[in-house]
Amino acid sequence: MTSNGESKLTDDIKALIGVEGEEHEVTVWGVEREGLRRFTQAVMDPDPRHFDEKFAKSTKFGETTTPGIYVTYLNRTHPREDDPVTRAFKENPVSDGIGGVRTSSRPGALPDIPTDLVRVLNAGNEIEVYKYPSMGDRVFAKNKYHNITERVGRDGSHMLIITMETTYRNQDGTLLCITRSSSFRR
Amino acid sequence: MPTQEELRNKEQTYYDDVEVGQDLPPYIIGPMTPTHLFRWSAAIENWHRIHYDQDFSIYHDGLPNILAQGSWKQSVMPQYLKDLCLPNGWAWKVQFQHRAMIVPGDTITVSAKVTNKYEKDGLGFVEVETGMTNQDGINTCPGNGTIVLPIKGGKEIPYPFVAPEE
Repeated sequence: MTSNGESKLTDDIKALIGVEGEEHEVTVWGVEREGLRRFTQAVMDPDPRHFDEKFAKSTKFGETTTPGIYVTYLNRTHPREDDPVTRAFKENPVSDGIGGVRTSSRPGALPDIPTDLVRVLNAGNEIEVYKYPSMGDRVFAKNKYHNITERVGRDGSHMLIITMETTYRNQDGTLLCITRSSSFRR
Repeated sequence: MPTQEELRNKEQTYYDDVEVGQDLPPYIIGPMTPTHLFRWSAAIENWHRIHYDQDFSIYHDGLPNILAQGSWKQSVMPQYLKDLCLPNGWAWKVQFQHRAMIVPGDTITVSAKVTNKYEKDGLGFVEVETGMTNQDGINTCPGNGTIVLPIKGGKEIPYPFVAPEE
């Protein structure tokens, strides 16, 4: 593809590759049934291992299971926080719902990518699952910029592909899940 | 998609049962509706407007409609592989790219084809090519994964799962 501008992969952005955030707790009140119920309903997973405790105990897992990927959705807004949606739209009445909502001020967040590319699209995912979190587990995550590359689109515009790796462990340090999420910034 | 009772009573697929080139049983999901997308956004607190605000999606971001979330797709695929492995196998890892959009009205076939199988540390590893194909035959989410199936007469798959050494 023919570029129609300067590279967006600056030295400042390259320097972020490998940068890690602090390990931080992502659970608000630990892994709990109501959150699990809502999640499995939304993903349309009717597995009784997620809600029938007696049956779940009879399986190889020995307890109610949660989808392995569930740990990635625990980083929700704590009630002590200001409402991020209201704040985002106060700051930008045409917010896309992401800009200003997800900020780097959260514990463990990676530094923002210094770019004027603001539109975000999911590019791909990798997921490794090792253990289902147990009810009551506190879950801790550690983020890392796994890689940042650049691509030139068909129209010659530059875009970044940002891959963030997150490792999830429970309160005992047991590895639960590793994800790598790639997104386009264009 | 399987029902509760089918998942409760699922019979084990063994490593010995699968062959390279075999298509594993698919999921059919859909047709997707704006309500499905909205429910997912609400459940995980994903406020990106392209998933529930049609005017914003079309007129601001230039998209054809609201879009099914990448996060939803990344949750469905491990679920599908998990269900294939039940009751005693393990869906270890999966990766995929988001190549095409899923929009309301789409019906999705989630699939896995066996591309390789090997034994290691007494466990049966099965590599699969995965897909989420819409009603027009477009694979919106091509990828691949590795599942671990019990070998008949073999040892139990450890839980928590321990990856074999490279």
